[in-house]
Amino acid sequence: MKHAISFILNQEEIQLTVDSHRTLLDVLRDDLGLTGAKQGCDTGECGACSVLLNGVVVNACMVLAPEADGAEILTVEGLADEEELHPLQRSFIDHHGVQCGYCAPGMLIAAKALLNRTSRPHEEEIREALVGNLCRCGAYPDIIKSIQVASRARR
Amino acid sequence: MISRKPHIIGKPFPLIEAQRKLTGRSCYAGDEKPRSGQLYARILFSERPHARFQLHHVEAARSAPGVAALLTGQDLATRLGAQVEDRELLATAEVLYVGQPLAVVAAETPEAAEAALARIQVTYEDLPAVFDIEEALQGRVQVHPHWATYRGTDALQGDPRRNLAHTLRFRRGEPEDAMARAHVVVEHAYTTAPLHHAPLETHGAVAHRRGDQIVMWVHTQAPFLQRAVIARALKLPLNQVRLIGQCVGGSFGGKVHVSIEGLLAAIAREVDRPVRLHLTREEEFSATFITPAMRARIRMAADAQGRLVALQAVYDWNVGASVDLFLHQLESVLLAGTGPYVIPNVSIEVNAIYTHLPPAAPMRGLSLAHVHWAVEQHMDELAERVGMSPVDFRLWNLVKGGDKLFPHFVMHATGLESCAWETTKAIDWHPEAIPTGPNAMTGQGMALGWSPILIMPGCKNRVTIQCDGEDLCTVIVDGMDVGQGYYAFITQLIAFELNIPVEWISVLPTDTDAYEPEWQAVYQNLLWSTGRALLRATQELKRQVLSYVSEMWEEPVTNLDIVEGDIISYATRRRMSFRELLERGSGQGAPLVFRATGEYAASTDGGALDQRLQAFAATGYAAEVTVNMKTGHFVITQLAGAVDVGHALNPEGVRAQLKGGLVQGISTTVLEKMEFEDGRPISTDFMHYPIATTADLPRKLYPVVVEVPQSTGPYGARDVSNHVIIGAAAAIGNAIYRATGVRIRDLPITAQKVYDALQRAEKGQAP
Repeated sequence: MKHAISFILNQEEIQLTVDSHRTLLDVLRDDLGLTGAKQGCDTGECGACSVLLNGVVVNACMVLAPEADGAEILTVEGLADEEELHPLQRSFIDHHGVQCGYCAPGMLIAAKALLNRTSRPHEEEIREALVGNLCRCGAYPDIIKSIQVASRARR
Repeated sequence: MISRKPHIIGKPFPLIEAQRKLTGRSCYAGDEKPRSGQLYARILFSERPHARFQLHHVEAARSAPGVAALLTGQDLATRLGAQVEDRELLATAEVLYVGQPLAVVAAETPEAAEAALARIQVTYEDLPAVFDIEEALQGRVQVHPHWATYRGTDALQGDPRRNLAHTLRFRRGEPEDAMARAHVVVEHAYTTAPLHHAPLETHGAVAHRRGDQIVMWVHTQAPFLQRAVIARALKLPLNQVRLIGQCVGGSFGGKVHVSIEGLLAAIAREVDRPVRLHLTREEEFSATFITPAMRARIRMAADAQGRLVALQAVYDWNVGASVDLFLHQLESVLLAGTGPYVIPNVSIEVNAIYTHLPPAAPMRGLSLAHVHWAVEQHMDELAERVGMSPVDFRLWNLVKGGDKLFPHFVMHATGLESCAWETTKAIDWHPEAIPTGPNAMTGQGMALGWSPILIMPGCKNRVTIQCDGEDLCTVIVDGMDVGQGYYAFITQLIAFELNIPVEWISVLPTDTDAYEPEWQAVYQNLLWSTGRALLRATQELKRQVLSYVSEMWEEPVTNLDIVEGDIISYATRRRMSFRELLERGSGQGAPLVFRATGEYAASTDGGALDQRLQAFAATGYAAEVTVNMKTGHFVITQLAGAVDVGHALNPEGVRAQLKGGLVQGISTTVLEKMEFEDGRPISTDFMHYPIATTADLPRKLYPVVVEVPQSTGPYGARDVSNHVIIGAAAAIGNAIYRATGVRIRDLPITAQKVYDALQRAEKGQAP
């Protein structure tokens, strides 16, 4: 079955028609060409496809595209301004929060959600916020540090 | 005043390629936009570990809607292998493991490809299968009865009747006699579980035949190796296969060797449209490679003064259905098999044993982590028996600079001792167990380790730098950045050597077509070999630039230098922007191009193993655990890891690698295990193959950088990424022992195993 849906994606209104079985991740990557959210497991275990759906972190592989109708979505592509990187992105570069980088978009989204609710998170809170995002390179310590530094730099 | 800029070597240097990864721009093979006319490939995998099989209704599958091409082993019978062709590209008559490819299809949509494969009916006639190495060595079932006919097996010391793929031996002195006379002899067996690389990005690639060349966009760690293996399997000249490197979403050794890439090339050859193939998570776990399980049997002896006098060790590896990818590891194990100690009487045997499990591939230093899992727990036990502290006993017997370890290898200056001191200091070492709660005991353990930097035969690497007005400085390399910071390292070195801004430099994606067809770059020890090639290229490029300016200014070249992007004369104080020179061109309308290539080829004359041995990377670890003595549940509270990197060119990058290695060390020590049921993998998702999350991080993690320069490395540096993991398991095992008095000799260490051991100890049984 086809659904006509619309949502706000990275502050831009999107309208499209999707098959009911397709996931938000499929639609983002294949139909809209936004490959920031990564495909890692398709079962909601790894967090590589994390996006913000109405301000809440979700695994885009676990959301059917029609469920996103009317929602506001933020992907990693919407994090930076035209010209300037988001402080989180800057901090990940400066503090080695990236190794192979496959988990990084999901980590940034999870961090963004955390900073939206807590401006100065403790290390413990950061660990907890990232527990659904796997990083096989084991870059967690530097990811946590990147988020801490970014949160302190924010006004 | 003219002065050289305080140099950027040894200073923080960010990961230059990180920005596109962090902004979501296309980078990995799976991010490529669907190409026009693109087809989707899927693979049919074996569901039995050992069986004769037949495929039925293949023609019906071939004529299914949307199918462009389909291949089975009947259409394409060929073998795969870098050194030993002990794999089939597509199974022809018998399957040797679950997950072996039987057919590959390319169709208009992934669904059409699936539907086509669903039409194929596979009938199996099961044959006896063998999964255990001991059973395999008895030879009642042969995994490779036609082994001797495979290309490359003549170079191996194997015996197919006993499923022995390869044996390596080393002997020094008279270990049997020395054992008989020794004051203390300790003997145990240690085992480990098979593991999976489990990269977050599953295997995937795009291939497109253009004319007679198959072009592949792949995320391999070793494009030149893969090109050679694919071309040989498809019986093509090397220049008819071209690999272009993409960002790699985690490899750890799992994306070095050809897995699906050969099938993709084969099916792409059948059509003239691009074909895309990506494995699902389940396929990634069940149909790529595993890192093999080890069994080590060790006897070690010391005299009354606490000197090690003899070691007898047999390291057996369950390499599944293929040894090809693991051969280099066996050599490393042989060289490192004593641990970093001086032992006058030694015999070491390293065996690779075939079974009906998936093919083995090495994983980031883990074979050596498993060797040290055995040796370093053994060292602790010996220390206790001779009445010395774990630290003193190790230092007393430690390898030092100047020790002649092998006929062609004398040990260089090493930071082993610093690794021991710095890591134990980091966790505030106390050798006794401390009660830290009603049922809780806290204990600390340490381990040292070493890892041979062993140049592969035929090792060479090349770097080409081109400076012109259009792109400023572009760099062509033959290695791959897999997240270890390879491109950052190259950029940093060129910026330093040419003394130009970092922003001018861009490293091009690795492309096998940038080289002559016979070029074979290695993929290991890249810092070592690329670093030296790079220094040659920058010297030559600088020479070209300065000679050009010398003619233009009519000044001797010895007056000239490049300083912060300007060409200057120390004599006349003339100064001119190098960038302007490039952009202005030669003045006769022709662009000005400087281009220099540097090459490094290791001399491998004679071919003896120790002649290829360049150095040993030294490592040290210290761990603290708190164990619940009732339940066996334990928490790693502190972990310190040190690597002697020679010279940390990018200190934060080195520490990042160290921290990552420690986290992987924890993960592979306490969480990871590939489970099989009659040869069928059942750990096929992250629920059943858990890897470390932020919840598994110890409170305190200490990356320790030790720097004892390597005279032969670039700026005194040594590689780091592969060595960081080596002693984590052993240090944690020793800490568990210190806390509880029980020793776990089988990886992973789980609460259940600790509980069982505590129960046995309570009943007075042998631990």
